[in-house]
Formats: sequence, structure tokens, C-alpha cells
Amino acid sequence: MSQIFGQNRHATTDTGFDVELRDVFKFYGSEAAVRGVDLSIRQGEFFSILGPSGCGKTTTLRMIAGFESPSAGQVLIQGVSMNQVPPYRRPVNTVFQSYALFNHLTVAENVAFGLRLKHRQNREIEERVGDALKLVKMEKFTNRLPGQLSGGQQQRVALARALVNRPAVLLLDEPLGALDLKLRKEMQVELATLHRELGLTFVMVTHDQEEALSLSDRIGVMNQGQLEQVDTPNHIYEQPRTSFVADFIGDTNLFHAKVEGYHPNMLWVTTERGLKMTAKPSESGAALTSGQVVVSVRPEKIRVSLIPPSDTQVNWYEGRLRNVMYLGTHVHYQVELQSGDRLTVMQPNTVTDSPGLDTPMYVQWAYSDCLALPREEP
Amino acid sequence: MSSQVSTSADKPRTALVGRLSSWLEPLALLAPAGVWLGLLLVIPVLLIFQLSLVPGIRPGQVVNPSGIENYLQIVQEPIYLRVVLRSLMFALGTTLICLVLGFPVAYLIALVVPKQWRNLLLVGFVLPLWTSSLLRSYAWITILRPTGVLNTFLKAVGLPAIDILNRPPAVFIGMSYSLLPYMVLILYASLEKLDRRLLEAAADLGANPFQAFWRVTVPQSLPGIAAGCLLVFITGLGDFIDPELLGGASSMTMARLIYNQFLGVTRNWGFGSALSMVIILAVSLAIALLLKYGDRSSANL
Amino acid sequence: MPRSLLWSSRRQFLTGSLTALSGTLLSGCGWTLAEVRQDAPKVGDRNELRIYTWSNYIDQVLLEEFIGQTGVRVIADTYDSNDVMLGTFQAGGRGSIYSIVYPSDYAVAKMIDLKLLAELDKSRIVGLENILAKFQNSQYDPGNRFHVPISWGTTGLIYNSEKLDPPPDDWDYLWQHQDKLSRRMTLLSEPREVMGASLRSLGFSYNATDPGELKQAYARLAELKPAIATFTTDAWRDQLLAGDLWLAMGYSIDAVLVAQENPKLKYVVPKSGSSLWVDTLVIPANAPNPEAAYAWINYMLQPAVASQVTERLLFATPNAAAYDQLSTQLRDDETLFPPDSVIERCENLEPLPQKAEEMIEKYWTQLTSG
Repeated sequence: MSQIFGQNRHATTDTGFDVELRDVFKFYGSEAAVRGVDLSIRQGEFFSILGPSGCGKTTTLRMIAGFESPSAGQVLIQGVSMNQVPPYRRPVNTVFQSYALFNHLTVAENVAFGLRLKHRQNREIEERVGDALKLVKMEKFTNRLPGQLSGGQQQRVALARALVNRPAVLLLDEPLGALDLKLRKEMQVELATLHRELGLTFVMVTHDQEEALSLSDRIGVMNQGQLEQVDTPNHIYEQPRTSFVADFIGDTNLFHAKVEGYHPNMLWVTTERGLKMTAKPSESGAALTSGQVVVSVRPEKIRVSLIPPSDTQVNWYEGRLRNVMYLGTHVHYQVELQSGDRLTVMQPNTVTDSPGLDTPMYVQWAYSDCLALPREEP
Repeated sequence: MSSQVSTSADKPRTALVGRLSSWLEPLALLAPAGVWLGLLLVIPVLLIFQLSLVPGIRPGQVVNPSGIENYLQIVQEPIYLRVVLRSLMFALGTTLICLVLGFPVAYLIALVVPKQWRNLLLVGFVLPLWTSSLLRSYAWITILRPTGVLNTFLKAVGLPAIDILNRPPAVFIGMSYSLLPYMVLILYASLEKLDRRLLEAAADLGANPFQAFWRVTVPQSLPGIAAGCLLVFITGLGDFIDPELLGGASSMTMARLIYNQFLGVTRNWGFGSALSMVIILAVSLAIALLLKYGDRSSANL
Repeated sequence: MPRSLLWSSRRQFLTGSLTALSGTLLSGCGWTLAEVRQDAPKVGDRNELRIYTWSNYIDQVLLEEFIGQTGVRVIADTYDSNDVMLGTFQAGGRGSIYSIVYPSDYAVAKMIDLKLLAELDKSRIVGLENILAKFQNSQYDPGNRFHVPISWGTTGLIYNSEKLDPPPDDWDYLWQHQDKLSRRMTLLSEPREVMGASLRSLGFSYNATDPGELKQAYARLAELKPAIATFTTDAWRDQLLAGDLWLAMGYSIDAVLVAQENPKLKYVVPKSGSSLWVDTLVIPANAPNPEAAYAWINYMLQPAVASQVTERLLFATPNAAAYDQLSTQLRDDETLFPPDSVIERCENLEPLPQKAEEMIEKYWTQLTSG
């Protein structure tokens, strides 16, 4: 099946980028929804735009699809400026969050919609629609109406309807947002498989970090209309460049701190409550050698023990266990340090017995797991 | 043996009782509406039907249904057939005109015009309904007569005058003018509910605005179109003021014919009732078609 | 005879009975056409009189003066054809709220037949002697036992004297100048009147019942039909005034009104004869307030009142004393008060046997649907 979709790849462009945004702004009245986004999405990449609601990620996607035009800047698809090109002439197709299936048409007619507009031969349409429906495992529902399908089935049809047109770029707007957890996991696997088989460029908007982390080749994290960081999932998680990214992706413990001294890849800081820590500057941390920083420690990087640690390459503090949350695979502890800071600590569910509440205990984490990030101006 | 017989007899009975009681609750809930429906719709129609079976009955005479002569008269006299056809032509033509004119207007108001202007525009459009239909027809006479407003205008811009008053085109104009607001209102209600995301989806799949309109907007608003057409058609079928005032010497319609049977020279209520039954049947048929059609499209939702 | 629907409606606008008017016009269908008032009548209220009349016989001044004289409040409902009025009575219910009705001649006969009218107690009526002798003993109600005439007029041709030379003088003119008048003439939307005109042009009676005569009259009308712009009782007004129409068959009472606006519009009663109609005051058999009804009749018979109403609303009064009080201009108006020689050529419309009525109805349907 992949060859059906793969064979029509548009001619490779010089840039090697399927989608490029160049300093794109979008204003609604005086409100800026998107502020100076620069982004290049590689051919064949699974790219996710991740951010909280209202961060401008959907607007960005809609500008790529052509439903919104940028107030300033350039949108390029395969190296061609799209600013003057209406949505119906762009080589992209969208899978909408609401599916947006035509409820007056059968599943097959929905999928055939784009091909009919291109006046393909009936035979070709039939063949390609059949293939597309097979691809999303919906070949048995050809003659159903969308109203007779479940949410997941509708989502598959929406996928087939977009893919059948062999777009250069497939845009996915929160494609799995309306599905329940189990179905969402299933569909995530299928999306990944589809992407691998078809080799198409996928651009997905999502607010679900787990989805973004598990599916994407790269992720762009957006906040307040700007891209905070564009990176691989691993880097986004392990090496956030801003405290927003660190905070938004996964759980983390943040400390506001002052730099006391530094070494090429080491910082000594004192937090607002007086904890002394040794931290690693983030990649963008050249400017962190003095002044204010935010220190991030992931809960899963923290270890707890009932005796003080012997390791020297760690920050360690004394505290008391205040709360225990059992999460199946993991256990969350909440530990209150003597300074008054409360830390969230995640432990794999290997300990048979949790210590009792108010048990004195020690927390520790390696210097390398303690990331100093630039403090954002409020 | 006997016990077997009794159980097999009991079973359907309890099932029947169960089925009855499952009907009782909705019946009780529907009763008030049913009474209204019975008093205001079913009984009058039955009375008309009964009257229609009495040949040549007049006020003051005893209703004694005896046959279908009244109906045969409609079929046998070519003149009545012609009246029926003319009424249908006026009603259908008006429906078509209202649809063609009303759709763009409703579309503009529902999808193009900014929200804060919509209500104002709608009110403006419905305003003509507040005047009496008779006055509207007289106004059209003033506009359409040979030296009227329209022809004065045509002459001023160097176009030949048109003589359409007292001819069918004038009837279409008058009726369409009267019924257009209904069409616009209903289409507006339907178009306003249109999911614009579907239009985006269509554009995304390569449909230009024109294609999106025909392949998405129109099919999506089909129930509204059907309802609007039905309303205009039914109302048009009952209009005799416009045909009579604007249509010239040959403008007898079903509605006027029925009027004449009840209030005219002869007062043949039996024949009038038979004519009424024909209209009631035609309208019921149209509504049944709409319901059937509406069901299908609602299944699509 | 239906007449003056819109015209007198305008008067009603001026005098302010807007609600009553819109009720009449909006309701549209026969059953409710006459049901102007929605409030339930208070039967037996001594201080309230409900009258059912043509819209052109009533105005606010009249109602206010009556309440001033008698203290009785009048509620007037209007109708625009005798048939609608008869329908209201025959359909039962609503008819019983009225104490005064204004039927025309043949409708009086019908109502007598249907026993809908109360015989008048003439001892309670003052001023009957002022009614002209020719209206004292009618064909449709011998001895005037049930009615008091209030207004009368003729049916004729209203024409544009600038366009039509020689002017029309008889029904035959329509056929003779069919080409010239093509789509420039209208006939009444009244089966009896139109058939009557055709019958008269053939030398038969307006009230002919002979199938052969009726058939001939229909054939003659069918011949004229292509030239007829439309059948209408009042929609010809603007078009005649504007010069789009040159000739309209109409009632004298309407002719007076258009002639006032445009003196070149003239009225003629065809030589071979036409219909003479009389509108009357009657009291229904089950009138809720006969006292007030007699008061109304006596009030309308007062010469001063009758002449003022005539001046204001422009109709022909059969009241000799009132006639004497009219302005000379109105008295000399031959449209409103034609000479006796003209009146002698006219007939009252009479109720016809059912057979003849059915034929007329059928011919009418054929004529208007062809």
C-alpha cells in the first residue's frame, strides 16, 4: 500500500523542507495569536506543535492549511510561497479535530470527495478509495453514513479522506483529542505506522505531550504565540531550554535561584529559600553565569533514602514525607524539605512498603540532573 | 395438558398487557396535544370530508353523505382541471422563484454578513409581512401597470416598456414578493446551523468556493430547502388575492374556486368541500414527502 | 355588491380605524374575512350596538355623534360583499351579535327567505315618510316590511372621456370597440353583474333564468374576454386615473369618487339598462339590542344626519328631506342622482332559482379560467 502513496511524492525541493514558516505573525485585531514563528519542517518528518490551549498552535496549523493568512511573514510549502494560494490549491490535506466528515455522503463518497473534484476516472477513484479505506481498516464500512460510525471509526475515515489525495504534507489538528484513552493509544500506534509506511510529512497539533513525545521526530513547543523550543522529544524532555518547556513537558520541580559561582559546565546557586545546589547549565545557558536562574529537577531523577547518601556528585537534603500517591506503575512522594520547599519525587513501584507519613528521609539527585534555565521576565 | 394450555394462553396475554402499559404513559403525555389536534385538525377535516360526499349541499340542508359525484365533477370537467393546473403552476413557479432569490439572500445573511447586522437585516426582510397582503398587491399594480413605476424607470434608462400586469408574470412577482420572506427565514435558520468546518474540509480537499457550495452547503441545507419550498408552496396554493388582482381575466385558482363555492353565488358547499379535500390531500402528500425526505437527511447527521 | 374595498379603506386609514381595516384585509379567507373584531360580544349590553356594514358607510364622526345623541356605543364590523355577510349569518354563531346590518336588495330578499330578519315595527321609526316614493315599495321586499333604504346607486361604465370618442353609451360599445379597448377595460368581479350586462346587451333581463339566454350571454362574454384586462371590483381605480385603463365597469358610488379626482373620468348608465341597487338597514331576527337598532335607524333617517353623511361619504341618499339639504353641486351630480328616465331602465338584482345560479357560477368559472 505504501507504494501507492509513496509514488507520487512531489519533486524534491532544494531546501529539503516541506513546510517553512518565516517570521510569521498573526493578529486578530490588536491581539497577537502568533508572534514571529520561524520553523522549518523536513520532508518526511513527523512534526508536532505542542502547547497549552490558546498558545497559537492551531492558528499556526491553519496558516499552513490556508484557512488563515499570516499578518506578516511567509508560509512556504515545498519551497513555494503559499501566502497568495487559497486552501484548495495547497498540496496539503487536513485531518480535523472534529473530523468534519460530510454527513450527507457515505464513507466511500467522503473519501472520494477530493478525487472527484480532480475529475479522476471512476475506476481510479474506486481503486484508491478502496486502498485508502483498507489502509485505515475501514473497508467494511464503505457504504455507511458517518452518523452510523463510532468516533474512532470516523477518525479513520477522516484520515483516509485526507491521505487518499496523496498530499505533500498531512496536517493533523488534535486528531485524537476526542477519543477515549484506550482508543487514543491504539490510534497513536496506527498513526506512527502510517507515517512510517507512507513516508509523508506529518504536521500535528496537540496539547497532549505524551502523544507528541511518543509520535514525533521533532516537537515545537509553543507558548503565547512563540516557539519556545524546537527539538527531538528526547532533547525537549531532557534538555529543555526554558523553564516553560521544562514545566510544560512532564512534571518537574522548579527552584528560583541566584548564581553564586560557575565553572565551564557547572553552576553553584542558592535558591530563594536558601538551598545550595550544584546545577548544570542548559544548552542555551551561556548567559547564565550570573544573575537569576530557574533550576529544574525531574521527579523521576530524585532518589529517596532513609540514610544520608554517600555519593558526592549529588545535591542532597533532609526532609519529611508528607504525602504518598500510588499510581500503579509509579509512586509519587511529596517531601517537605527543611527549607519549606515541597518536592515531588517519582519512584518506580518496586518498594513493597512505603514509609509512613512524616518519616524523616533524604532526597538526592545528581548534579547532571539539575538543570539551570534562564529566568523568564514575568 | 390443561396446565400447558393455560400457560400458552397466558403468555401472550401478559405480553399484551405489558405492551399496553408501555403505551399508556406516552399516551397520557400526548393526550393534551392529541385533544388539540383532534379538535382543530382531525374533526374539521372529517367534517369537510363528510360534506364533500353530499352532492350540491347548501347551507341549511341536512348532511346526508351519498356519493362521490363532487369528486367526479372535478375530474370530469376539463375546466376544473385547468384551474387545478393553474394553481399548481402559480404555487410551483413561486416556490422556484423564492428558492432562487431567497437562497443567496439567506446565505449572505447567515454566512457572510457580520453577526451584529444579521438580526437587523432579517427584520428588514420580514418587514413586508407586517403589511396586508391586499395592500401589497395594490402596490404591485401601481408598480407594474403600463405607465407605472417600473415602466417609467425602464423608459428613463432607454429600455422598452413591458406589459406584464394582468398576466401570469405579475402573479409570480406578487406572490414571490409576499412569500420570499418565509423562504429566507427558513433557509436562514438552516444555513445558520451549517457547520463551517465542513466548508473548510471541502476547501482542504480541493473544492473552490463554488464547488464547496454545491457539494456541501446545498446538500447540508436540503432539509431547510425542502421545508421552505413546502411552506411557500402550500401558502402559494392558498393565495387567491395575488392571482386575482394581478393575473388578469384568466386567473381563477383553486383557492378562489373554493371561496366561491362557500361564499359565492351558488353556495355549493359539497363541491367546495371536495375541492378542499383535493388541496388537503395534495398538501398532506407534500408534507409526507418532506417527512420521509427529512428522516433520511436526519439519519445522515 | 362588493365595492370600494381599498378606497374606503383609505378613508378608514384617515379616520383611524386601522385595526378594523387590517383585520379585514389580513384575514384573507372567506370564513374570517368578516371577523374583524376578536373580542367576545357582551350580549344584552344596553349601551352597546354592534352593526355589520360596508366600510364606506361608516366613519368615526358618525359613531361619535351617535354616542353623543344616544349614549350608545357603536362597534362597527365591516364586510366587502353581501355573500360574505350572508355567509357569516348562515354559518351561525357570529351573525347573532349584530343588531343592525346593511344588506343590499337581493340579499334582503335572501335573508327574508332564510327568516333571518325581524319585521320592522314602523311605529317606532320616525321619518320614513321622507324616503322617496320609488324606494317605498321595493320588488325585493314588498311593502318594505323588513328594511329601510339607506343608499342606492347604479352599475355602469366609468370611462376616460379624453380617450374614448365617441363616448360609450351602451353595453354594445364594448364589443364594437373591442380592439381599441383591448386590455384597457375591466369588468366587475361579480358574476351576476357581468352576466347581467351581457344579458342586457342581448335584450334579456338582468335576472334572466332561461338556460338558453344565459348560454348566449356567456358566449358573448367569451367573445369579449380576450380584450378584458381583468375582472375587478376596485383595482381599476389607479389604472383608470393614470390612463392605463380607459374603461371600467363599476358602481356609481365609486365613479363619483374617481370623478372628483379627475373630471375627465365620466360615468354612464348604459342605454339598454343596468342594475339598480339599494343598500338597506335591517334588524336581524335575533338581534341582541333592538332598542339601539331602532335608535340607529331613527338617527340615520334624520335629514340633517343623512345629508351630512352623504356629503362626507358621498353616496346617494334615498331621503328626500336630506337630498334637499345637500349642496347644489352634489344634488346636480347625475352620477350619484341619475334622472328618473335612467332609473326606469334599470332592474334590481333578484335572487335566482338554484338552477340558474349554478349555471352562472359555472359560466363564471369557465370565463375566469379559460
